[in-house]
Amino acid sequence: MSVINRRDFLKTGTAAAAFMGLATTPGPLLARLGGARPEPVPPTDDPRLKALTARALDAARGAGATYADVRLTHTWARTWNGANPASVDPFGAELLAVGVRALAEGQWGFASGPVWSPDEMARLGREAVFQAKANAVGKREHVELAPAPVVPDGRWVMPVAIDPFELSPFEMSDLLAGVLLFTLRQPGCKDVRKFTCSLYKLEKTFASTEGSHCTLRTYRTGGELVMEVKSGDKLGPASLDCLSPAGLGWELFAADRVPLVRDVSIREMIRRTIEETKEDLSLPIKPADVGRYDAVLDARSVANLVHATLGPATELDRALGYEANAGGTSWLSDPFGMVGSYRAGAPSLTLTADRSEPGGCATVGWDDDGVAPDRFTLVQDGVLADFQTTRESAGWMKDYYAKAGRPYRSHGCAAAPSAVDAPLQRAPNLTVAAGREALDFDALVAGIPSGIAIRRLQVDMDFQHLNGLGLGRTYEIKNGKRVAIIAGGGGLLFRASELWKGLKGLGGAESLERFGAAAEKGEPAEAHFASVTAPPAAFAQLTLIDVLRKA
Amino acid sequence: MSARHVNATAPDDVARLIPREEAERIWEKLRGYARGGGTTDVGMVSWWAGEMRWARNRATMASDRRDVMLGIWRTIAGVQAGVYMNQIDDESLAAAMRAAELAVRLKGGRRLIDLRLKAPSFEFAKPKIWSDATVNLATEARASVARTATELAAARGMHSAGYVEVRAHGGARFSEEYDPLYVTLTQARCSTTVRDVAGTGSGWAGLSSYDWSAIDPHALAERALQKALASRDPVGLEPGRYTVVLEPQAVFELVRAIVQMVERYPAEQSAGPFTLGRDPALGMARSKLGLKVVDERVTIGHDPMDPQLGVLPFTTGNVPQPFRPVKWIDHGVLTALADPQRDYALSTRNENVGVMNSGSFRMSGGNTTVDEMIRTTKRGLLVTRFSSTRVLDADSLLMTGLTRDGLWLIENGAVTKAVKNFRFTESPLLVLNNLEALGVPMPVFNPVENPYDSAGLVPAIVPPIKARDFSFTSLVDAV
Repeated sequence: MSVINRRDFLKTGTAAAAFMGLATTPGPLLARLGGARPEPVPPTDDPRLKALTARALDAARGAGATYADVRLTHTWARTWNGANPASVDPFGAELLAVGVRALAEGQWGFASGPVWSPDEMARLGREAVFQAKANAVGKREHVELAPAPVVPDGRWVMPVAIDPFELSPFEMSDLLAGVLLFTLRQPGCKDVRKFTCSLYKLEKTFASTEGSHCTLRTYRTGGELVMEVKSGDKLGPASLDCLSPAGLGWELFAADRVPLVRDVSIREMIRRTIEETKEDLSLPIKPADVGRYDAVLDARSVANLVHATLGPATELDRALGYEANAGGTSWLSDPFGMVGSYRAGAPSLTLTADRSEPGGCATVGWDDDGVAPDRFTLVQDGVLADFQTTRESAGWMKDYYAKAGRPYRSHGCAAAPSAVDAPLQRAPNLTVAAGREALDFDALVAGIPSGIAIRRLQVDMDFQHLNGLGLGRTYEIKNGKRVAIIAGGGGLLFRASELWKGLKGLGGAESLERFGAAAEKGEPAEAHFASVTAPPAAFAQLTLIDVLRKA
Repeated sequence: MSARHVNATAPDDVARLIPREEAERIWEKLRGYARGGGTTDVGMVSWWAGEMRWARNRATMASDRRDVMLGIWRTIAGVQAGVYMNQIDDESLAAAMRAAELAVRLKGGRRLIDLRLKAPSFEFAKPKIWSDATVNLATEARASVARTATELAAARGMHSAGYVEVRAHGGARFSEEYDPLYVTLTQARCSTTVRDVAGTGSGWAGLSSYDWSAIDPHALAERALQKALASRDPVGLEPGRYTVVLEPQAVFELVRAIVQMVERYPAEQSAGPFTLGRDPALGMARSKLGLKVVDERVTIGHDPMDPQLGVLPFTTGNVPQPFRPVKWIDHGVLTALADPQRDYALSTRNENVGVMNSGSFRMSGGNTTVDEMIRTTKRGLLVTRFSSTRVLDADSLLMTGLTRDGLWLIENGAVTKAVKNFRFTESPLLVLNNLEALGVPMPVFNPVENPYDSAGLVPAIVPPIKARDFSFTSLVDAV
């Protein structure tokens, strides 16, 4: 019955893939731009799109909106999925959407649909205001938007080296099949369990009743390669770290090096990953000896911890309880009392946010409020310094910013996956500042006489993003060397507030790596991708437990 | 409705779903655009959703959204490929067919001889899965749900957050291999979380159904409020084994993991909780079919015609296949396993295809009320629901997760104090072996988040239970 969508596609894996197959880009889709018949969807800077957005804004204003904005989105997706080099299944989609958001009587309303036509723009403009007015009955608090410069004619294109949608899909198919064949021929690689490549392009026009009109194009590229590696009579899984989603084009797969992602070609990364896994397999296996240990975590683990703890905890709407009925709140539960004074981590911890960083998955020219994002600091030398904001939530910080003598502005964190969805405050790209010394993972391990080291930590958090359970590949460290693997049940039990205070050492700038990840938020739930750049790090006295042990 | 609404103009009501006739026209057009021989398969989804969200005692967003999704597949010389798009004008449809044909060439390589035979004609059950009450819950009525919930909480100095959503869904499936299918269904959900302003207590209540009239939003708001009030200023207890009284939502979180694992294939590959391991005499692994796996008071099954479930009566993949009445566990004995080899069964034209698992289920109960369970408990814990559950070990079905939104200590037959949350580490199969009492089964909250998923709801009917020796492994001082 259904059109199984991409999310299901990825979830159900290869069995479903056999049926659903594939795809490449349909195109061209058509829009009704006011002429006699539908015509191919023009690029975002075509003046006729300005007429379309004006239609929506006029309708909203006419219906009583004090503020309205409209988004037109045109998205392309292309995915390959398969572990057979003779046939890597392609899959593709192309979608149009329009959404209008309106403030009327101080409250929000939103309406969206798939049709680009003058009549539909007008309907959605009116509908959004109708929704807002229904919402407004009996309300005392009114939404206030932080001031933002008007962008009368903005154009921005994410800088990527190779636009995957300009390349022949046959060429891409060949490269992927080649990588797969290379992998299968590596000594030690017994099998490839999973190989995917996801390419995504979004063109968006944003316009508001304040006079902003801007267009942007973003890209997101990612993939997965999971191998089964053999060493002697032992088998173990190995996955490639350098394919996590990024604000990049085809270069993520094809370039010889990608800054902050890999210094060598993808083939060399595959070779190294297999070698590393073979070394791990040759280590003795020990059961988890429950207790507290000094620990070294690799860059991926640190990035995953930020993504699961400080990232969501510094979303201002979450900290104030706006996500209480969905993904939960934040342990930073008194944001206005804590900002500027609360010790969120060790003095060596500085966490910055930046949606203009090249290569980040959350990178944009303007956010979904039409705000150009700025680089801002969430944690400065261990002290909570700010929160992630939109134009609406920056308003909640107004008094604090005035008192602290800081500018009253949004940090540009409004985002929605497409125009079908209403914008929410979502994660910017985050960066953990590197340490001063030129240390890497092995150098940090060398500094630990006795303890544990963890790679690829996956983290589950509670509904205040406070108490966590982490599972990763865990090693025993003796005299600065990884000497054994701790068996499957070994896991970290931690409190985020204590974890970051126990930060003892950070890898240097050379050891920084960037990883992208998705998260869900809101009701209805919306997916959002953001990057975290982090170095490996050493922590004091983390608790290792056997997760399989019952009470 | 307040007088202010008189001035609000109702927006033009354009079609929320693609009607059957339109879907058939699109299908005929697409067939006409086919080039290069072969066959065509089309899936079509259209959905509408009316939504209202609130938090901190104010509505934060009211919305009306809709979208369309077409999946168009071409099969030429045994290679199948396709595209997804959301426009239904002639030129876009024709372009999509060209793109699907390009995808076939791109996929290339696998030039199999097409052995697919015409799919068997299935009979599908016709449960009621459409509710006018759901689609007619207007914007003002949704706003009124939010208002009632927030006023109730505000009157006691508490913060309410919540969400109400009504959705209509139209799905169509066309193929040259079987008769066209067209289905419409609805989904309604309402859930609310109430917290005290200091953040020391939290209460939740929620329900989903295809039918809005089965949901009492006022009762949910009242229930969440009472839980929030009673859960304030919790005390920390030592982790350990406790007798538990689990409300239906908590039981659902555990039993769902069992239902997701009733699969024949892993059981016969020595994997998962329902395998006996390799039988040397047979030369293969045997499943636990026919063996007692849980307490004999437990029956877990699915009937698409169950009037309380309201579930799509067929699968949404490949060739739609019927969900038939099935009992996975009958009086404690494992009596059926879902057959994942359905595509194989179909390609060999075996009409007796394996049992399909919709994920939706009903679990049998008893007649002990939650109050009685508490009254007969010397020392134990009352659990509202679990959160962040995950399976740690698929073979024993050992799971971990957290209690959330209301946990209380029971002493000498009465609830005595609010307790800080725990992480648990336990297998639901053991819980269902340690049963002391069961209550009356009732529907729980399990909405499908993804509006493009035409399976709609995966409803479940679950009783409250009392069980002993439930393993709580660490304190979680989050509220």
